[in-house]
Amino acid sequence: MTDQAPAPDAGEPIEDYLDRLLLSLSGPPRSVRHTLAEIEAHLHDAAADELAAGRSQEEAERIAVARIGAVHEVSGRSPLFSRPSAAFVRRTAMAGSLIGGVALIAYAVSAAISWALAAIGGGEFVTAPFPPGTYTATDCAHWLAGDPSTRSCVAAMTRDHVGDIILQGIAAGLLGVLALLAFGVMRQRWQDRGTLIALPVGSAEAVGAILAVVIAAISARDAFHLATVERGLGAGQPIAIAIAALCAAAFFGLRLYRGARTTGGFARA
Amino acid sequence: MKSEKLKGNLDMLLLAVLAAGPGHGYSIITRLRDRSSGAFDLPEGTVYPALHRLETGGLLDSGWDVVAGRRRRLYRLTPAGERHLAREATEWRAFSGSVSLVLGN
Repeated sequence: MTDQAPAPDAGEPIEDYLDRLLLSLSGPPRSVRHTLAEIEAHLHDAAADELAAGRSQEEAERIAVARIGAVHEVSGRSPLFSRPSAAFVRRTAMAGSLIGGVALIAYAVSAAISWALAAIGGGEFVTAPFPPGTYTATDCAHWLAGDPSTRSCVAAMTRDHVGDIILQGIAAGLLGVLALLAFGVMRQRWQDRGTLIALPVGSAEAVGAILAVVIAAISARDAFHLATVERGLGAGQPIAIAIAALCAAAFFGLRLYRGARTTGGFARA
Repeated sequence: MKSEKLKGNLDMLLLAVLAAGPGHGYSIITRLRDRSSGAFDLPEGTVYPALHRLETGGLLDSGWDVVAGRRRRLYRLTPAGERHLAREATEWRAFSGSVSLVLGN
């Protein structure tokens, strides 16, 4: 599934409205049931009038839903003070695990790219060395102990930092896989309509894509600065992050595109 | 008509509509629109919190009826609701008369 599918049927405006209303109502169960029954009867009466005026079933239902107004106007509760429904929490958890999982895996990918750039351009290209005077002889000894092949403290330092990036990338990748597995489990378990429409269809993908593009832009800016002002020292990691973020943005964009084709457009909120 | 002005008088208007006979939500909003010649055309869902509040306040009571195979909640004015409406209507006529005098109508 996508965070989007199976999407609510495009042709059931009244059913979708009642689902949203149910999620927003609170109080004794009988009161909730009665309100739901009242509004359902109202909507069907309004739609019947529109049908009698010659509109199609779906159009009649859309007009009926538009005329009754927002869900919070029927429930009488300001949307600001409505506590999140269980369905909203579930949907948000699914969206969070999808976005978080992809982000973590993107970071792992950036670590792999950083490793490749270090192999090509050297460790200093990926991670700038600490300025002289900010590290001690003990630090140098520690770094050199981890890299007996070199006598250069700076080379050993940057190789150590690249090693840290790789380890972080591996950890992020593992966590990302776990997050996506969790997303898959939640998607299988929570396919009820209420959960699916608790957030607009495609919202997770849209948020993920926007975040990825922002991160790519910031990283590209940093890389440009390091390449022009710092003679390229440390530009490799932001370049790697920018590339991985763009890949993540493309992933979310593709899911959005597929979702739009499946549902015929983004579902209404 | 601006909905803010309408909301302040919605309770009285709903009581007035129901004074003519019981009704369910959709018929109440339709009667309100028709009797005002379309001037009162607010989001239809806003009547339900008002109806529930009036019922809680004892000015209305309700019962379930099956019409055309669907359950509908029918509201009717209580005696307390009739008295409240009479008071509100008197106050409104006095207020609107005073406003008209000031405006020079």
